[in-house]
Amino acid sequence: MMEALGYFFMSWLDWQILLLTGLGTFAGIYIGAIPGLSVTMAVSILISFTFKWDVNHALALISGIYLGGVYGGSRSAILLNIPGAPSAIATGLDGFPMAKRGEAGEAIGLTTVISVYGGFIGILALAVAAPLVSDLALMFGPREYLLLAIWGILLVGSLSGESLSKGIFSGALGALIACVGLDPMTGENRLTFGSLQLSAGISYIAAMIGFFGVAEVIAQVHELHLTAVRQKVEKIIPSWKLVRKYLPLATRTSSIGVVVGALPGAGGDIAALMAYDHAKRTVKNPSRPFGQGAHEGLVAPESANNAAVGGAYVPMLTLGIPGDAVTAVIIGALYIHGLKPGPMLMAETPHLFWFIVGSLVLANLFLLVFGLTGIRIFAKIVETPKPILLPLILVLSAVGAYAINNNPVDVYWMLGFGLLGYFLKMYGFQVGPVILGMILGPIMDRSYRQAMMSTGNDVGLFFTEFVTTPLSLILVLCVALTILSQTAWWQRWRAPQSA
Amino acid sequence: MHTSHSRLPGEVAFMVLIVAFSAFMLWASFNISRFESVSAAGVFPMVCTAAMLVTGLMSLRQSLKSRLVLESGETAWGQFVRKLTPPTLVQFTVLIVAYMLLLEVLGFVVSSYLFLLLSMQVLGSSRVGLNVLVSALVLACIFVIFQTAFSVVLPAGSLVGPYLPEFLK
Repeated sequence: MMEALGYFFMSWLDWQILLLTGLGTFAGIYIGAIPGLSVTMAVSILISFTFKWDVNHALALISGIYLGGVYGGSRSAILLNIPGAPSAIATGLDGFPMAKRGEAGEAIGLTTVISVYGGFIGILALAVAAPLVSDLALMFGPREYLLLAIWGILLVGSLSGESLSKGIFSGALGALIACVGLDPMTGENRLTFGSLQLSAGISYIAAMIGFFGVAEVIAQVHELHLTAVRQKVEKIIPSWKLVRKYLPLATRTSSIGVVVGALPGAGGDIAALMAYDHAKRTVKNPSRPFGQGAHEGLVAPESANNAAVGGAYVPMLTLGIPGDAVTAVIIGALYIHGLKPGPMLMAETPHLFWFIVGSLVLANLFLLVFGLTGIRIFAKIVETPKPILLPLILVLSAVGAYAINNNPVDVYWMLGFGLLGYFLKMYGFQVGPVILGMILGPIMDRSYRQAMMSTGNDVGLFFTEFVTTPLSLILVLCVALTILSQTAWWQRWRAPQSA
Repeated sequence: MHTSHSRLPGEVAFMVLIVAFSAFMLWASFNISRFESVSAAGVFPMVCTAAMLVTGLMSLRQSLKSRLVLESGETAWGQFVRKLTPPTLVQFTVLIVAYMLLLEVLGFVVSSYLFLLLSMQVLGSSRVGLNVLVSALVLACIFVIFQTAFSVVLPAGSLVGPYLPEFLK
């Protein structure tokens, strides 16, 4: 216990880590707030720069950026009516009407305090649930990992896009990219077409920067004409009475955030939309009608998306399965630092777990400070013209891809994936599942082959064992339900019920 | 960006391309270990590519079922250019490609400066003096931060590198 506390406070007592966490949170708020910049993009680029750092320093910076970025999107949604991140889409529905009424300060203040509250619930859930899930995960065999990874790809495919088939395509594409190179089990060349360069595999960091950096920058050219509608901001710090009034709702929606965040593949954006929907259905007398500046319309999504951060860390640290696209990238960072997320991470390196919890708490406190201050600078930075901003991100992306191996080939891969990502996005494919596929692909490949070999390559027995062991059966049902929920039959059945 | 009722120009061609790519990769995956064993190295890539092929075909079917809605007097190519490849986007992309290709030849400092300057102009930042200043300042910051804090070795450039002062390499 004392040992865990020591690790927990490590980030609080080391001035360098303290500084990096603060810097990360501050940068995260602005990255999340600037439309076109995403946390995933920032963390992807950052990994290639920080892999030479001490792992604690890198993780402190990343934790700050993640937490700050999820919150940051709300600021531009309220002030400029442009959600800085997908997780802030629901926030703008009531935040901007409030700002138009001259209540931008109140909206920002309430959002900040409630986000911090949601963040703490998420971190608390992480601290309590992760050790339990980790113990449970020790019972997982290759079959369970295979099912969990399949479920993750299906979930992200079905929840983040308009079509499950396109989601699965993206996930499978990511898994295929991860297959390129030498087979880790037999050493055979896979999909290398005789190229020595391909034998080393495709750098997933280059792919991440391409899909989230270059593709997004190119897509942002369509939005050059978007102009921000700036609002006046006065009195930010909310009254305790106002905050207290919304704590019960925030607690409920934070719980939604934790659960959705912990689902493999689902992240803060889905949590926020679900929480907003929950508030709309359950709050009988909102402060104003929803969509016209209801406080509840701010409280629900903002508590949920920040709570989802803690939730998303649970499967990432305990199972090695990413909760969302950002945690998929963070898993990449952990791999680079020689760590292997999964049940053994908690057993072998408990200090790392408690360090992460400690730095998340610290980042959350920084969020409160930075969230309630610096509005004037904020407006200036967020309104940086895109003709200046976009080329800058491109230069950072190029440096990031080059820095991985000091090899221009990674830059070319990044460019190729960037162009592919742009067209995929335009034609309705999500790029999040591609990255998830790249992380989950090797887990699925290894788990499938281990499970198959454990049955002596008996296909019948392999499938039978999916339904004869309780853990596998539960996961099979989850996978089946996810597929079923996307069928026309299910949609027809649900339609009269929700009407 | 995309609706389920109408399709974007070029969507069917894109879907055909991804289906063809998936089929080719399925064949390539099959050739890794053929049907040697159910746990052989090629099985998982085969499953991935088969999933890509099936879902690619489903997406193609969806695209074929939806309609391309053209505004009066507009051709499909005209809409493709307007919605997917407007001239500014094409020019910016060409600059990106040129920048990536010239990074090794001209080095980080020169190629990045040229890229920043030209792309700011292309994207509509018309104040040349400001662009020159902002590009130089930003590049100086990036260079110093990445060389010192992140210890990133940036390419000096095979063509320009030998003539650059030591601190810019």
